[in-house]
Amino acid sequence: MHAVGVLEAGLCRAVLITYGHSAYSSDSMWKMLVSRNSDDAVFGHFGATAGYALAARRAMFEFGTGPDTWVHIATGQRKWANLNPRAVMYRQPMADEDYYGSPWVVEPFRRVDNCLVTDGGRAIVVTTLERARDLKHPVVTIMGLGMHNPSAEVTAAHHLAGPTGAKEAAKTAFRMAGIGLDDVDACEIYDCFTYTVEITLQDYGFFGRGEGKDWLADGTIAPGGRMPVNTSGGLLSEAYHMGLTPISEAVMQLMRRCGERQLSPETGMKTYPEIILCSDNGGILQTHACYILRRW
Amino acid sequence: MGEKKPAPIIGPDNALFWEGCKGRILVFQRCARCGHVRWPPAIICPRCLSHEVEECRASGRGRIYTYVVYHLAYHEAFREDLPYVVALVDLEEGPRLLSNIVDCDIADLACEIPVECIWDNEGEIPLPKFRPVKRLRS
Repeated sequence: MHAVGVLEAGLCRAVLITYGHSAYSSDSMWKMLVSRNSDDAVFGHFGATAGYALAARRAMFEFGTGPDTWVHIATGQRKWANLNPRAVMYRQPMADEDYYGSPWVVEPFRRVDNCLVTDGGRAIVVTTLERARDLKHPVVTIMGLGMHNPSAEVTAAHHLAGPTGAKEAAKTAFRMAGIGLDDVDACEIYDCFTYTVEITLQDYGFFGRGEGKDWLADGTIAPGGRMPVNTSGGLLSEAYHMGLTPISEAVMQLMRRCGERQLSPETGMKTYPEIILCSDNGGILQTHACYILRRW
Repeated sequence: MGEKKPAPIIGPDNALFWEGCKGRILVFQRCARCGHVRWPPAIICPRCLSHEVEECRASGRGRIYTYVVYHLAYHEAFREDLPYVVALVDLEEGPRLLSNIVDCDIADLACEIPVECIWDNEGEIPLPKFRPVKRLRS
């Protein structure tokens, strides 16, 4: 959104958005996660997993979600990763039993409910349509953008079981795009944890509160499903590059540069995708960005 | 082993709370204008923006808003406590406090069950922790 602002204002001609981290081979990610964050540490509370697990537990109470919903997200995304040679989990399939056999980290989250810790990086370039038309790749445009940041403090928050910032952010983005959910061909959802995908899709309106288990069943989001989600494997099964994992995959899919996992008649789609809905979020579901991309 | 659990870092904002804990009393800021009891602490009321503040002594009674069970030690000093419970507790007076649920069978925990404060005197400053309220069998 900031990139669009500086481009629209004419302050520059192109914006490079990058992320790179030796998170796996160094201890920097671990240090960040366990670093002291307020007096929560006094009570043994550290890191993002437990924060999202608190949200997920409340959601289990309020609308009956839980591992039987999240298993579909973890295994569905893994099937996409198994088609993506760049994915960390490319050669590691995950069956339902593997999900349920994964050890607890912070209950109700198992290890496989968590995103990966990855070495690597990713980058995207945002420029004007006029400039992009002269470049070698097909043009992908931004149809709609929305941001909503519901809470600064988790302890004062009332969004943990939704609606999160996703609801308002999507409203803004869809209004700007002038389309509805039915026009979306696929989603690339920020998936720091399995539950994040569920609550985001729910707040976007794909299903009602607590209906995720049924909506996600039978491979809805997996290759060949009716709404492909996180087609690279996502943060859970491809690589953790923050919000760059979902947006770069959306752009690549719309450019038709995704190889075996390319959304197309060969992976069960009627056509190649035209519109992909993406998200990013931060904090413990405290900030949210929604963006809708279209092949021009 | 040998690593100590982190102690509270007391500053101007949270001094009221932790000084209260030293005397085993839960003390929060209450807005003297609109009555809102706030947590986390702040110099102005997030509801009415008043600077006027008074003390609110909380009963220690509340309900579990949500909770998780740690099976992994993110800090060495907590390894011997595994599995342990971290919860957000909604106090009767309003604040939602992050703490531990102790003295309990983890399998019996649920959101919205009533809990009460008990003091953990292990460290230099007593810590307010919570346990399920024992229900009398009828």
